[in-house]
Amino acid sequence: MKNSLFKSTAVLVSLLFLLQIQPAPAQAQSSTTTTMHTNNWAVLVCTSRFWFNYRHMANTLSLYRTVKRLGIPDERIILMLADDMACNARNNHPAQVFNNENHMLNLYGDNVEVDYRGYEVTTENFFRVLMGRHETAVPRSKRLLSDEGSHILLYMTGHGGDEFLKFQDSEELQSHDLADAVKQMKEKRRFKELLIMVDTCQAATLFSQLHSPGVLAIGSSKKGENSYSHHLDSDVGVSVVDRFTYYTLAFFERLNIYDNASLNSLFTSYNPNYLMSTAYYRTDLYQQKLEEVPVTNFFGSVMETIHTDSAYSVFPIKNSRTNNIKISKEQSVDVSDVKQQSAEPSNTVQPGKCPYTNAWNLAIMAITMKDNCIYYIQSHDVES
Amino acid sequence: MALILRILLILLTLCLATTHELNKEEFHEELLLKPLSDRKILSHFHFRHTLPDVTHSHHSLFPKAVFQLVQKFRVRELELSFTQGRWNYERWGGYDPLSSSNAKPPGVELWAIFDVPQHEVDASWKNLTHTLSGLFCASINFLESSTEYSAPEWGSQQSSGKLRYGALPREAVCTENLTPWLKLLPCRDKAGLAALMDRPSIYRGYYHSQRLHLTSSEFGAVGSTTGIVLDQTLTLVLQPDKETGSMYSGSSIYQPNWSMSSLFGREVGGKCVLAESSTVFVLLEGGLVSTLKNTWREKEGHEADNIVVENSWSNPNFELSIPPNKVIEEVTTLHKNPSILYEYSVEDSEASKPFDLEFRWKNPVAWSSPKAPLSASRFLTGSGNERGAIAISLESSGRKDEKPQSLGDFVEKMRVSPSEDKVSPGVMEMILRLPCAVNSAALTIDFDKGFLHIDEYPPDANQGFDIPSAIVSFPDFQTKIDFLVGNSSKKSPMISKLQESRNIQSYTEVLLVPLTTPDFSMPYNVITITCTVFALYFGSLLNALRRRVAEEERHQREIAAKKTVRFPLLFKLLAMLRGQTWEQPPSQSSTSTSLINTKIVIKVIIVAGIAAGWQYYYG
Repeated sequence: MKNSLFKSTAVLVSLLFLLQIQPAPAQAQSSTTTTMHTNNWAVLVCTSRFWFNYRHMANTLSLYRTVKRLGIPDERIILMLADDMACNARNNHPAQVFNNENHMLNLYGDNVEVDYRGYEVTTENFFRVLMGRHETAVPRSKRLLSDEGSHILLYMTGHGGDEFLKFQDSEELQSHDLADAVKQMKEKRRFKELLIMVDTCQAATLFSQLHSPGVLAIGSSKKGENSYSHHLDSDVGVSVVDRFTYYTLAFFERLNIYDNASLNSLFTSYNPNYLMSTAYYRTDLYQQKLEEVPVTNFFGSVMETIHTDSAYSVFPIKNSRTNNIKISKEQSVDVSDVKQQSAEPSNTVQPGKCPYTNAWNLAIMAITMKDNCIYYIQSHDVES
Repeated sequence: MALILRILLILLTLCLATTHELNKEEFHEELLLKPLSDRKILSHFHFRHTLPDVTHSHHSLFPKAVFQLVQKFRVRELELSFTQGRWNYERWGGYDPLSSSNAKPPGVELWAIFDVPQHEVDASWKNLTHTLSGLFCASINFLESSTEYSAPEWGSQQSSGKLRYGALPREAVCTENLTPWLKLLPCRDKAGLAALMDRPSIYRGYYHSQRLHLTSSEFGAVGSTTGIVLDQTLTLVLQPDKETGSMYSGSSIYQPNWSMSSLFGREVGGKCVLAESSTVFVLLEGGLVSTLKNTWREKEGHEADNIVVENSWSNPNFELSIPPNKVIEEVTTLHKNPSILYEYSVEDSEASKPFDLEFRWKNPVAWSSPKAPLSASRFLTGSGNERGAIAISLESSGRKDEKPQSLGDFVEKMRVSPSEDKVSPGVMEMILRLPCAVNSAALTIDFDKGFLHIDEYPPDANQGFDIPSAIVSFPDFQTKIDFLVGNSSKKSPMISKLQESRNIQSYTEVLLVPLTTPDFSMPYNVITITCTVFALYFGSLLNALRRRVAEEERHQREIAAKKTVRFPLLFKLLAMLRGQTWEQPPSQSSTSTSLINTKIVIKVIIVAGIAAGWQYYYG
């Protein structure tokens, strides 16, 4: 028993050593598209201050609710709200924010975590979040700790114009700045794929300077077009939601976490007559086919977890270790399969053939799953 | 075999029990309800965590985030409060332990005493603000800049220069601050008294203050407590529902009836199982009790002293729906009216039989709360954008029962650290000694308004800049409520807090100072105007230098000669603009030109007609 433990620790140490030695090829590999999608992040920004911009906060909170419902946990959502609407003195429904005049759904429920609020929502902080350049004292909850396997949803709403978006009525985010930030993110391997969704006037112009691969962008309106609010709530006294976001939500409300709706079905669901503007999406930087990418790749956190028959042990005893490695041989082959078919929503692995079954699961499992993968792949390397 | 096992189990549990008894983490939850004289209800939640042993890093109840914070920044004492609304010292009291410890200034207030060397205090403060900002979803990190915090010396605490104080008056307080605060509780808001916290009913209140107070004796003992004590309080002033309160509609002298379910919209479905005690108190303050006693005397001819306090929960004036487990009366000196505390234990309530206390008034009652010896108010004077003054006026509330002071200098001690531009805020601390005969006193401080750098203006600069509340404390006036608690083994944190003698303290208003705000579009305007002027100047200069007038005239004459002039009028105009005389080219037929002229006139009329019509119908 002692001997086996010693052996296993020796193997572990050698594994660690290998991990230390091999970063260069691993990283070289990762810069290409071969890395797996391992986690999801969302950065949701409402850039408008003042009460009459209630709808922008409602937009952002609606998206927040949607991505949370579809499985992205709070610690992976950076929520930036430029003003306080829920407890605003003008709000006659304290601690509540609605995005529909029927008041069926309180977006400001009991569990909202706002990471940046009020005067903190500035272009500076926005770029700091994207690029990960913070002071050392900044807590983890305010950082975007994504990695090269991350899919990031960046949603912004506010007032904008030709190639800019206003922050707090005093600053501007320009399309060049955005493109530079995204480029730097790509260079720092902070994302695998990025979906930028913007609901503002002339939103399409904000994407004109983007040139980093793996970026997908959708905006509510083309150049020269305005984006409009959807309806006014006479009880709250202001418009409560924008059209583009309203129809985005209408699309997502029909979905649950296990649905396989593709990005294409979302992008084509926008009717210019309802929107009173033309939704514009830019796909030339994105390699995958939109028909094959499920929306949950960005708006949710759906992971394929690999179920092994034996329990996962931190310090594997000899039998189970060999067992694991056996699995890992087949699995490491399959990982590439899964990669290729990751766009394929259907479950392609035959249950009888493999010692494991595929299952869709929540994002909470993502970390363990990621660890598993690295472990399996590395152990496979050791064996070969 | 089974017997041996059972004995073993018993032994094991005994062992566990004995080891746990020494340094057991404890959690208490309590709620105090108190009717206020202006028809509102004060609800005060108090949750206390105690961690006697800090050597082990494994805790079962104590929140890990707070423990790590204490360890990392070596915090000896810390208080963080989030407040919305202003405590009404006139009506809700200013001379009782509840108001002096729980009335807080609007926005966020944070102070902390560190147990680090003097030169590390500022760095610890900075890191602490960032950590708290992440923990409580608020912009507390704005307090890190040296212009936002100060190091007062004569506050209520003796700190030897290691205290830092900062306040953010405009910080919004909402659900996202309460949620992480609730997550520090072992049962969160899922069970126990915290389950009452329905967000819309809490934030609908007149006053809302959420406080976190932390005392750690790990680094050099302070007081009698050992380990870490974490007190979390939530103080609310709520208006009972109109429906239940309007039983005696028409006459406003009746106090409204209320119940826990009408105040919060929820009921308590049992205690938090991890809590040592789960108690609800109803406090009737001295003023109210004395008026009640008077009416009893009138109605029933009782002697005031004969009233049995134990049965006072159902009397001619009011009625509590549930008989209290215990009635505690205050021990007072002769001239003060004792307050009464009704104690309820929520322990035996369950989800099927929720605890819902109801308070029904039977007679109209009016009373007033004790006020602080001096009521302080602060305001701005002066006009214009150059200078102004802050005035603090202190008004005596008419308490004459204190022994007279010798009349010396009014200002006994004073410490001013003037503000340094972009480095530190201005802080003034004063110790005043006023004779009792003084009815009012006023202090004014003049200041000059400065100019900020363009980056330093907030996005809504025109709204003005907030000056945090001033703190007024009365070191010679102590307050406490001494309750006659028997020798009960478990002492309630709420009662012990009320029994603690503490200084009377109050806060003044937050001031809003308008500063000169520049026209932020001015740089843009200046650039545009300058560019226009330059363009005009260089354009005309280039024109003058490059233009060959004689050549142009010759060229024009050639053109004119070549083609028949169709619009002589136009050419005449052009020529006039150029400063030449128009020479009519030799016309071939005068009739054709007049014909053309009439055509033009007709065209113009038609266009004008269409325009007029358009204007009439669609304009």
